[in-house]
Amino acid sequence: MPGPLRAPDRLAFLLALVPYLQDHDTVTVTQVAAHFDVTPERVRDAVTLIAVSGVPGATSQYQHGDLFDIQWDEFELHDRIVLTHLVGIDDSPRFSAREAAALIAGLQYLSALPENADRAAIASLMAKLTRAASAPPTQLLAENSGSADALALIAAAVRADVQVEFDYLNGEGVHEHRFVDPLRMESVDRDWYLRGWCHLRAAVRTFRLDRISQLGVTDRPRSAQTGARLPDRLFEPSAHDLTVLMELPRAALPLLADYLPELVSDTVADQAGGDRCRVRLRLASFHGLKRLVAGLPGIVTVIEPAEARAIVAAWAASGAAHYEADV
Amino acid sequence: MAAIAVEERLFSLVLALIATETGLTRDQVLSTVQGYRQRYAQDKDNSGLERQFERDKDDLRELGIPLETIDPHDNLQARYRIPKGLYDLPSDVRFSPDELMLLKLAATVWREGSLSAESRRALTKLRSLGAGASDPVLGYAPHLRAREASFEPLNRALDRREIVAFRYLKPGDAAPRRRVVAPRAVVQFDGRWHLFASDEGAGASRTFLLSRIVGPVVVLPRRTFDADDTLTARTALAELEALWQSNVAEVDVEAGSDAAVRLGKRGIAPADAVSTRVSLHFTDLNILADELAGYGPEVHVRYPESLRHAVHRRLQGVVAAHRDAESS
Repeated sequence: MPGPLRAPDRLAFLLALVPYLQDHDTVTVTQVAAHFDVTPERVRDAVTLIAVSGVPGATSQYQHGDLFDIQWDEFELHDRIVLTHLVGIDDSPRFSAREAAALIAGLQYLSALPENADRAAIASLMAKLTRAASAPPTQLLAENSGSADALALIAAAVRADVQVEFDYLNGEGVHEHRFVDPLRMESVDRDWYLRGWCHLRAAVRTFRLDRISQLGVTDRPRSAQTGARLPDRLFEPSAHDLTVLMELPRAALPLLADYLPELVSDTVADQAGGDRCRVRLRLASFHGLKRLVAGLPGIVTVIEPAEARAIVAAWAASGAAHYEADV
Repeated sequence: MAAIAVEERLFSLVLALIATETGLTRDQVLSTVQGYRQRYAQDKDNSGLERQFERDKDDLRELGIPLETIDPHDNLQARYRIPKGLYDLPSDVRFSPDELMLLKLAATVWREGSLSAESRRALTKLRSLGAGASDPVLGYAPHLRAREASFEPLNRALDRREIVAFRYLKPGDAAPRRRVVAPRAVVQFDGRWHLFASDEGAGASRTFLLSRIVGPVVVLPRRTFDADDTLTARTALAELEALWQSNVAEVDVEAGSDAAVRLGKRGIAPADAVSTRVSLHFTDLNILADELAGYGPEVHVRYPESLRHAVHRRLQGVVAAHRDAESS
């Protein structure tokens, strides 16, 4: 859940709540809380505040008729909200340029999903958001291409309530055939992940779509495990971990964020350039390590253990050998 | 007397400014509106309260509330109001349950940074329309990440139409060079965030990778620019797409390897079991070279020569950084 709300967020809730209450003659605090996905306490606080608010009025004294009003007995005795007098606002507020932009960019990103293949519907929804904003939305978009075929197959399997099967090349370089109950599709930028119940491992697993081959829909029913709880983190550190010490520019730290690097030293001595740091990283194996390090060339250097340095050097050297032979 | 909560003051301010046709002067607001009037001192210095009012106006505008100033050149005479017609959501803007489901999902795309708070606020406003959303068949949890430090300041400058300066490290250059630009759009393409901007030095629009911006993005004081409808996020994406289409690399991959499986997926013609040659589109040669270097011997770049060279040099660099004196 999000952290503490800033005053503008609390104001937005008040402004959104008034027209909702106006449209719903009698609702309970619980219903409102569920609808807005907030706690009942927040709803009660907001209603209490609305009920004593209003406009200064002709006398500038906030007289009774200048204030909102509710049926206090219903509210206090039965937790029910009945708005009896409205002041000033009776409609939902428009979106800000940034709010509209956040939704439009999100929609653009989601247009890669097979359910959203109807580009015209997405475009009309974006146009609606643009009209609903009080200023032209910020120019912000995200394109998410590819993976549509795989996503469509997996969605079809879920609709038919059956398992999918595929060849999976795992992070250790091992190919295995898997049968999986799809639970959820997740993505980070351009990468998609299938999370589901893996019948081979009898556990919940995360699969990168680009490591999946020969994806197919089976006629095996999904098991009862579809209610399995998914861990919040997409990347779970595995049990048999390899610990390496690495050096990199401080500014490059976000590149390793998925590996939860542990900062060992802030600045590194004997480095003229300064601003480099050392981190300890836990990885599953050398198989992943050499790819990670060679894929961040000139940025990350392995310091320890010596075996890891040797494996990375050998990996890069055999790659470089392709070109030395060519010349 | 108990202090009045901030949201109560802001809420009362909105109500008061919507209720007025002719507008309220600053002094009228401070002396009559709930949350201000309790602290207002007749015929005395109210400068603290006046600054509070300025900040509150900014907060309302940030929420998309159209706060209008009439006669804005005189602080004492200026009157403020919120035209109801511009405040209310247009009556033809309503959303179906399917649309709401999609918008709810779109809002969850942002998990970090200010856009996550803005998405949440947009959702709150959507919910006030009452309708419930339908449920998707398959659960989705799509996420956009913006880890580059320049992302937030560039977005802010974009909104306020401010000219900014930053140092940009072009691959191949020894040192970053200062750029002064009018930001036009921020777009993610091929998994990377790009800034599309009018570059003052170049006198033309340019695309920058956020990850290559070095150090802070500095807003130049009192330098703003006019909107240009031809320089939008769509234009930026179309240009990147065209660039991506026109760049083709050919690589050989080791059968059955990580490279074969993962790069094969991105190949122009789907790779089959027999062929080990994969053709890839790309936007940025250096970024592709980094990625290909990660595959070590599993990838052999055939074309273009510049990419062969870039991958070779990277691998040599990794060897040099990891080969210990005694073992070489």
